[in-house]
Amino acid sequence: MTRIRIDLMVAVLLLGLAGPLLAQNKYEYGPDSKRQDGVPRGNISQHRWEDSKIFPGTQRDYWIYVPAQYDKAKPANVMIFNDGGGYVRENGHSRVPVVFDNLIHQGKMPVTVGIFINPGVIPAEQSGGTPRRNRSFEYDSLGDQYARFLIDELLPDIGKRYNLTESAEGRAICGLSSGGICAFTAAWERPDYFSKVVSYIGSFTNIRGGHVYPAIIRKAEKKPIRVFLQEGSSDLDNLFGNWPLANQQMAAALNYAGYDYQFVMGTEGHSGRHGGTILPEILEWLWRDHPDTPNSSK
Amino acid sequence: MKKSLLLLLFLYFAPAQLLAQDLPISQIILEGEGWELVSQGHQFTEGPAVNKNGEIYFTDVPSSEIFKVGLDGKVSLFSDQANRTAGLIFGADEKLYGTSIGGKEIVQFDDEGKPTAIAKGVNCNDLVVLADGNVFFTDHVNGKIWNLSPERKLTEVASGITFPNGIIAWPDQKQLVVSDMKGEHLWNFVIASDGSLKHQQPYSTMQTPVSSTESGADGMTVDKIGRVYVCTTLGVQVFDTQGRLSGILSKPQRAFLSNVTFGGADMDYLYATSADKVYRRKLKTTGVRFAK
Repeated sequence: MTRIRIDLMVAVLLLGLAGPLLAQNKYEYGPDSKRQDGVPRGNISQHRWEDSKIFPGTQRDYWIYVPAQYDKAKPANVMIFNDGGGYVRENGHSRVPVVFDNLIHQGKMPVTVGIFINPGVIPAEQSGGTPRRNRSFEYDSLGDQYARFLIDELLPDIGKRYNLTESAEGRAICGLSSGGICAFTAAWERPDYFSKVVSYIGSFTNIRGGHVYPAIIRKAEKKPIRVFLQEGSSDLDNLFGNWPLANQQMAAALNYAGYDYQFVMGTEGHSGRHGGTILPEILEWLWRDHPDTPNSSK
Repeated sequence: MKKSLLLLLFLYFAPAQLLAQDLPISQIILEGEGWELVSQGHQFTEGPAVNKNGEIYFTDVPSSEIFKVGLDGKVSLFSDQANRTAGLIFGADEKLYGTSIGGKEIVQFDDEGKPTAIAKGVNCNDLVVLADGNVFFTDHVNGKIWNLSPERKLTEVASGITFPNGIIAWPDQKQLVVSDMKGEHLWNFVIASDGSLKHQQPYSTMQTPVSSTESGADGMTVDKIGRVYVCTTLGVQVFDTQGRLSGILSKPQRAFLSNVTFGGADMDYLYATSADKVYRRKLKTTGVRFAK
């Protein structure tokens, strides 16, 4: 690569950073999203999953966060993060390891193992080939395939290394955009396994048919799942649908059907910033009545 | 230094790309440019194929004729010996290849329109010929995909699709896409260097008419950025590179739509075969020639 190209890339990078930093002052990170003295840190390890039967040929990275308070004699709760690479970074939109460290230390959420999973990619077999990106297929498709991937493939393997809970009450799943609808779909399909859902800027739109959820929620017998929805009034309006309207429809349907839900409408566009800054509050609400949450203020 | 910078760039830009990228069909439609008639008076047109000049060849299956559409729009007879050839495509050798349903053969046409079989005794529907000489064709009778190697060795490479009909490769020629006429899916395969197929996946879901699970999917083409265009009962369904439906171009007429390909000197016209007629429309994108 030439020097000129690198300079150009730096310029583009700086321009790209300046805009959002100037525009995003409204949603700031609070103390629970920042490192605090005396708070023990969990351990993060990175792994790779390459032998999925449900998504043949896919390769993906995933990370496991294990809190300092984890005791292998006691089953830990589990929280899954879709597009995990973005959630696991300490300087990312949600700073999950920092937030988990702080909240678990304060007793505002139970001891929880975080599992951060990237969507799959199917590489070309021959050199020079374009990889098949599997994110939309895995996240936007309705049905139980992604839930089965978690329940039948990935989590049993992680369960060999860590003592994880056997109860749906102790399992949550979180994502943004297509990862948001994916989180909802996993719990909707398998409420026997997941009881808690967090969605930022969820794509409850017609990427692959997900716009039907509000209608389905209203007519289906209520399922034992708790849902937090974050959305922004400047979010997308495109060929797939209108994100702010779709999330309002979701909230209205959950309300009509009597669900335990929260809906927060901010002003952001298609970004994880707002959801990320309020993640401590979201988590405290999500885990508020769990038996291992001694100091919940919710 | 370079690597870390690239990583930084990726980390910063990747989420936005992943989250926001979409390709509505408004990006390819030209205002005021609709379907225009290219040829008529046929029985059942199929297999539009583009040569290196951008000229289009198409078949009239029942009459066993193949016609050529010049860059001036003039339609002339290329062959009357096609033996009900349905699918057509040009190879890297600039020869026209076809699927002869009447002869149960994969054929190669010479410059005078005379066919020579390169595989016999096959059930075939549509085909794609890659630049490396590998031929892949659909066998709707048995629900299979076959590979005919450059050495003319015939191998079954996939099965279990209800009615495999259209077949095309991504622009990189490393991935195959097959349409299921009696189902809802486009099936993707990774092409291995030995011509075998791996990682079969119903990557895209087509829209079907109300109260039907049959797409009516037939012929396909791709454009330079990798959009996949597939003829269906509802029109030309356009999929983006993540397999998501971008939109549906209206059919040129209320009749069966069999196949599409890009052609013209600048490869920016989408040619469509539909029953008795052939149409084209200009789009704000360009197609890909497989015979590179």
